[in-house]
Amino acid sequence: MTTTAAESTDQAESALLDQHKQFLSETQPAADILALNESAIQRFEVLKFPYRKHEMYTFVNTKDITAAPYVFSYGASVAEDFIKKHVYPGCEKSVLVLVDGVYRENLSDISGTSVRLMPIVEALSQADIKSYLESTVANENDVFACINSAFLNHGLMIDVPEKTQSESPLQILHVSTGSPAGKVTTLPRVLVRLGVMAELKLIVKYAGVQGNYFVNSVLDVLVGEDAGVAFTQIQQDNGDAWHCSKNRIVLDRNSRFHASNASYGNKLTRHHYEVHLKETGAELWLNGVSVLTDEEQVHNFVRIHHAAPHCVSNQQFKNIVDDHSRSSIDGTVIVNEGAQLTVSDQLINNLMLSDNAHADNKPNLMIFADDVKCTHGATIGQINEDQLFYLKTRGLSTKIAKELLTKSFADSLIQTIAFPAVVEDLENTLLKKLES
Amino acid sequence: MLEIKDVRAGFDGTEIIKGITLSVKKGEVHAIMGPNGSGKSTLAKILSGHPSYEVMSGEVTLDGQNLLEMEPEKRALKGVFMGFQYPVEIPGVNNAEFLRMAYNAKRIHEGQEELDPLDFDEILTEKMKVLGMEQKYKDRSLNEGFSGGEKKKNEILQMAILEPKLAVLDETDSGLDIDALRVVANGVNKLRNENNALILITHYQRLLEYIQPDFVHVLSQGKIIKSGEKGLALELEAQGYDWLTTTH
Ligand SMILES: Nc1ncnc2c1ncn2[C@@H]1O[C@H](COP(=O)(O)OP(=O)(O)OP(=O)(O)O)[C@@H](O)[C@H]1O
Ligand SMILES: [Mg+2]
Repeated sequence: MTTTAAESTDQAESALLDQHKQFLSETQPAADILALNESAIQRFEVLKFPYRKHEMYTFVNTKDITAAPYVFSYGASVAEDFIKKHVYPGCEKSVLVLVDGVYRENLSDISGTSVRLMPIVEALSQADIKSYLESTVANENDVFACINSAFLNHGLMIDVPEKTQSESPLQILHVSTGSPAGKVTTLPRVLVRLGVMAELKLIVKYAGVQGNYFVNSVLDVLVGEDAGVAFTQIQQDNGDAWHCSKNRIVLDRNSRFHASNASYGNKLTRHHYEVHLKETGAELWLNGVSVLTDEEQVHNFVRIHHAAPHCVSNQQFKNIVDDHSRSSIDGTVIVNEGAQLTVSDQLINNLMLSDNAHADNKPNLMIFADDVKCTHGATIGQINEDQLFYLKTRGLSTKIAKELLTKSFADSLIQTIAFPAVVEDLENTLLKKLES
Repeated sequence: MLEIKDVRAGFDGTEIIKGITLSVKKGEVHAIMGPNGSGKSTLAKILSGHPSYEVMSGEVTLDGQNLLEMEPEKRALKGVFMGFQYPVEIPGVNNAEFLRMAYNAKRIHEGQEELDPLDFDEILTEKMKVLGMEQKYKDRSLNEGFSGGEKKKNEILQMAILEPKLAVLDETDSGLDIDALRVVANGVNKLRNENNALILITHYQRLLEYIQPDFVHVLSQGKIIKSGEKGLALELEAQGYDWLTTTH
């Protein structure tokens, strides 16, 4: 007899609960972190693994990443060359390397920055951090983020002191070592806090030494009053890997978070953005570009909460899907009662290069205030025949002309990234995927 | 050089070009005039190989070779240039980079080495000066946000760089003020020689004051209803097309 999806999910859930008991007895967490681990596993029991039709995973098949018990990896050795290759020029003295979720001081260098580091386990002694993390766990709706908190042990907190700025961007490099044997799971966890009027340029890059891993990452960014973050996340995992990342951003009065995401895709990537425009005058920009070939998948799940008046959120996504690849954007902007004079735009453009590719869109607005300006739109298109013809009449072959058009489609978003070294790298690697 | 023989063509089964025969020899300039919707642009698109248009019968040869079975890029490499009535905008494609790619595609076809950006820039700078184009158009996206006149100048710039054997210019004069028209005409005249040929599609005789045609053809409802020398253009200007279509 074959097991049903429900039965195997039940089994995976009880396997995870057992595994959690074992985790607690092995690591013997201190009281503060223990409380967090325990409430997270209780939350997990409520949320459960998604199977059947789950509204948060409309376009995502999570079968491969719900196969608990997980084999956790906390970092093998990594060749220095590999690290060097993935550190952007200009970040040599402002780079934090986490290998399989574990901060590696010997591979990192933050001498060029004014940030302060502390294990999250220690940061929990601060009342505001403790209550923040407790509330995120209590309100967690993402089961994978919940698992990250349940097994949270190695997380890193980055403090950006008030009124500080750094010249060069800070890069967080997440290296997954992967495994030649069975699939391993890693749980990177980073919490960034910006003081009043602090400015941070932050690059987060995910890369894998070899395949066969599931990186299940959570990043919290707490942006203080009048502070600003220029953020770029690059998902460049091994193709034979799974990736979940939840980025939770909380914006205080008059703060800014300008984000760009670039995704190379793999077996399954799911980005979850949960953004709280908590106080008046906050501003979010969120761009995303994916270039997918073969069977690669990238899914974006975005929830933006406008909780205060005079906030702005601006999103633009561009996806190129070729072969049998899949992308999806499930994005909702929630404008709470009282969030008057909200301005919000969401635009999704997809370029389909193959009839077998999929690009799903679910833009949505939930508005409970009456004086707002919100728009959203989505397009799915093929290569524009008139543009293609024009280029061909100038002697360019169909292949070259198509490459030029697809690259330019994605490049217009890549060009908006605030870091020239990242732009150059994406043009040389992400866009190279479009050359056959 | 170019032989069009009894061509019938259109799209979706509708015939728009209803039997056109035209012979263009090297060194010649032919003007094609005619009212709106008479099929002028359709003829140009047939010559450049637009995939939406189909040729139902007849033949077109370039130096004895069947043009109709060539892909648009092959026609371009053989020396056919199309100056579009409505050039498309291509956001994100850098104008100078595109021009270099087109130039190098031709060089490779001719067995020459590609030019690197620096060497090409010299050529480009020079040609832009001749056309009175500001250098800033190098860094802009191809035709994006260009005014009508700027787009037309950009077409002529491409022609100047590709040095075609046969250029078909579809209403390159419309959207240009008189100064720009002079500059464009000047640019075109500089490219003329005894080995190349030009087909000028236009509404007005104004352009023909600056680029003297050897022949003028009047196209109406998909047919050439009258051909003559350049005096015909003046007559048309004075009397309008009705004069021809009613007496025809
Ligand atoms: N892609 C198209 N789709 C629909 N109709 C078309 C298309 N192309 C041409 N036509 C029709 O074919 C006829 C000829 O059009 P064409 O553009 O060749 O005329 P033209 O002589 O260039 O006109 P104009 O002086 O306005 O440029 C017109 O009736 C036009 O509406
Ligand atoms: Mg026309």
